[in-house]
Amino acid sequence: MGELCRSTIFFFDQHLCYADIIPPSQVRARIEVAVLNFLKALSSNDPSISDLSLISRNPSNSRVSRGLLTGDSWIFLSHSFCTRSLTRENSTKSFIRVWKVMEMCYQILVQEKRVTQRELYYKLLCDSPDYFTSQLQVNRTIQDLVALLRCSRYSLGIMASSRGAIAGRLLLQLDQRFEGSHLKLDQRFEGSHLKLDQRFEEPNKEVVDCSTCGSSGYAISGDLDLLEKLSMETDARYIIMVEKRLAEDRVFNQIPCILITAKGFPDIATRFLLHRLCRTFPNLPVLGLVDWNPAGLAILCTFKFGSIGMGLEAYRYACNVKWLGLRKDDINQLIPEECLAPLKPRDLQIAKSLMASEILQDSYKEEVEAMVQSGRRAEIEALYCHGYDYLVKFLATKIVQASYL
Amino acid sequence: MEIEISSVKMLYKHLIFLAVQRCRMSDDLCRLTVKLTSFSHRFGLPLVRISGDFSLSLSPSLCVTVFSDTGVGSKLEEYQYLKYRDDLVLANQWDGMISLATTSVSDSEIHNLNLNLKESNSAGRLTKLPSTTKNGVKFSGTEVSVSISKSLDDLLAEVTCFLQKFFMAFTQMILVKIPKVVMELLVGGDDLLGTQTESRIVTIEGSSVYSPVESIKCLEVGLKDYVRKHHTCLSIGENLKVGTGVANSSGSSHGNSQVVEAVVIINEISELFPSSCMREQDTRTEILYFKDFVHCSVAQSSLDALTSINWKSYGLALRSVADHDDCVILEWENLPPHFRIHIAIHCYHRQYPSLPDRNLARKAVKCALDDLKENNQGVLLSTRELKMCDYALDLAKTLARLILSSNDLNFQEECCSLLGVQSQEVNPDNVGNCIREKIISVIGLNDRNSQKHKEAPSFLFEDDCFRKEDFMDEDYQEGEEAYISWDM
Repeated sequence: MGELCRSTIFFFDQHLCYADIIPPSQVRARIEVAVLNFLKALSSNDPSISDLSLISRNPSNSRVSRGLLTGDSWIFLSHSFCTRSLTRENSTKSFIRVWKVMEMCYQILVQEKRVTQRELYYKLLCDSPDYFTSQLQVNRTIQDLVALLRCSRYSLGIMASSRGAIAGRLLLQLDQRFEGSHLKLDQRFEGSHLKLDQRFEEPNKEVVDCSTCGSSGYAISGDLDLLEKLSMETDARYIIMVEKRLAEDRVFNQIPCILITAKGFPDIATRFLLHRLCRTFPNLPVLGLVDWNPAGLAILCTFKFGSIGMGLEAYRYACNVKWLGLRKDDINQLIPEECLAPLKPRDLQIAKSLMASEILQDSYKEEVEAMVQSGRRAEIEALYCHGYDYLVKFLATKIVQASYL
Repeated sequence: MEIEISSVKMLYKHLIFLAVQRCRMSDDLCRLTVKLTSFSHRFGLPLVRISGDFSLSLSPSLCVTVFSDTGVGSKLEEYQYLKYRDDLVLANQWDGMISLATTSVSDSEIHNLNLNLKESNSAGRLTKLPSTTKNGVKFSGTEVSVSISKSLDDLLAEVTCFLQKFFMAFTQMILVKIPKVVMELLVGGDDLLGTQTESRIVTIEGSSVYSPVESIKCLEVGLKDYVRKHHTCLSIGENLKVGTGVANSSGSSHGNSQVVEAVVIINEISELFPSSCMREQDTRTEILYFKDFVHCSVAQSSLDALTSINWKSYGLALRSVADHDDCVILEWENLPPHFRIHIAIHCYHRQYPSLPDRNLARKAVKCALDDLKENNQGVLLSTRELKMCDYALDLAKTLARLILSSNDLNFQEECCSLLGVQSQEVNPDNVGNCIREKIISVIGLNDRNSQKHKEAPSFLFEDDCFRKEDFMDEDYQEGEEAYISWDM
């Protein structure tokens, strides 16, 4: 039923811009078309240098889709474009950067390789030091290319960095039957649910028990193909998204749950996996535990609604995360004054954007206001002032009380 | 408008100027002759020296110069604003006397006069002498004589350079309504025996060859000739890059419209030439300035115009503008060693006289610079344009590498055929160069057309859902954090 509700009737199809998940041959074809069109314009009777028209990844181009029946909302990008031009003074370098990344990706695809963003950064740094000076610049140029060719970053042959980790009551196995298949269709609509008994037909395939992975948990691969192929089994009752790190005190032994973290701002791979968990285990509520500060809430919202920066892809992986903590009542009741730190200017900036965002519900906005008014922030770890096992008690209480927004 | 004569050269300039104007006014073909004759003293000092190569070298102490023209008769008002400067050097050379013989077509006699410029009282300046009868023959003309106490060689040395420039302007005399003027320079002297010695005629600058053409064309041809002759050891045919510009005023209340013409020539000297051939001063630009078809010193308004031009947009940096007595020198910063710039400016009224307009001069020179740029690729590029050439190179290399890394031969073939690269010549350099040249030519075209109209650029992909465009130029801000701003 949930899947049906997200059908095109409610989806405002004509407004949505998305990046296709397509096989390497199709991506190469798109790049070739781009090059040919550029050369055609250059060699025509009325020659011109084509501009690059990229879907804007700005708040002004973002839209909100509100699921009417499920209550899910997510952000997507619409048809507003920004232009990179060779001849306009402050756009020349960014124009050339897009072509340089295009060249790299084309070669990666021809050689049937996959690289991480970090590897790509070093390659570009050596090749064109005048144009690329930081990882951030490379990442943004990659997003430009995604916006130009309208294909996902993963389709370009670029793997997300693996920053996230997962732990808890979860068994994972790479599914042999999906080896070598290409992801063609929009994953939001194509959930494939594997029957329980089919999953462990290959006894020689390694089964990973995330509850025995150690305190750092199981590292989430940056390879989305691999993540898609994972078979999953669980007896958890909750999925808990944690901001920074997984608890060392085996929370999941006392509360049957799966813990997942991106260790900071959510990367696509972690979001992808969380989304897979949601689809595979639709009855498990997803709860979020973040620091009490605007940045923490921002992280939760990224899992929940998606992001603008990767708006052409991220909308697919939004899941209905509920805000467990830390919230203002927790702060008032549980965190002593000494454990609070002042808000940084950065936090205030983020708070401002959150308040201005149309997708954020009022209850969230009230919390943000409270943050700003108090001028204080608190980390999850502050709960430990009550004892090392306090976190478990805190979570348990919250869950029982269904105290989440 | 008083003009103070402070040197012999200046005197000559003005006398020729006046003669030229008289020729312009005439409807007929005119001749203008400048004759320098040296006179030895009849008695006393030995004046003939025989040098080793058996040439006679005279050392007279007097030179008489006669400026004669067959233009309209002289009006004495022409001379009333000339003033004699009380200068010791000048006083030693010239006594301030001008002998004049003039007649108009309608006159029945030739008027002979003496003009004493030293005399400040206007009544005492002019002395009328007995007229000469014309015996019923109808003609017009003027003969002006001055006596200079200087050796012929010294005098020639002083005036030759100036006369060279002056001759340059003569190619401009060929206008639709103004007839040809033939000019000759005669140099001679009497020896003790009273016979004429050598008579040199300095070459007439092709005045008989050209049919009536536009004045600007003549200025262009004149400057080209001048450049070639001036740099004799360097001229190797047509490697001159030329730009011309003309600016007109809409005309004053008298309906007297003013015209300013400018010609800019750039020659890049081949590096094969020995550096001894190139002189230090060649890297500076002397402005050749003409007013009403006569070479003269640069008007202040034109000087202002030159300093106000945005030379940076042509990739040039002006260090200084030096205004010497009779010429203006532009000095440049960081001019490439083999680069030479020559500029000629001509201001004139459709009717004489004229006062040059600064805006017109500026417009004309700018026009000439733009014209030169448009017709010669790669010249006078501003810093931005040079940078764009670098960018074009980087982009071209990137595209070439992309094309050649493909394992789809159809794609490669299609790209190469679009570029016009033959299949046997396909390599990264050729493909890259081809793309680069195309990009640069489009950029150059865009720069020139940018003032005319803005065309919508083409896009790489056609998009039906194209709704609105946001021409934001985002340049990324640097930051090491994983997320810069919460991007909801």
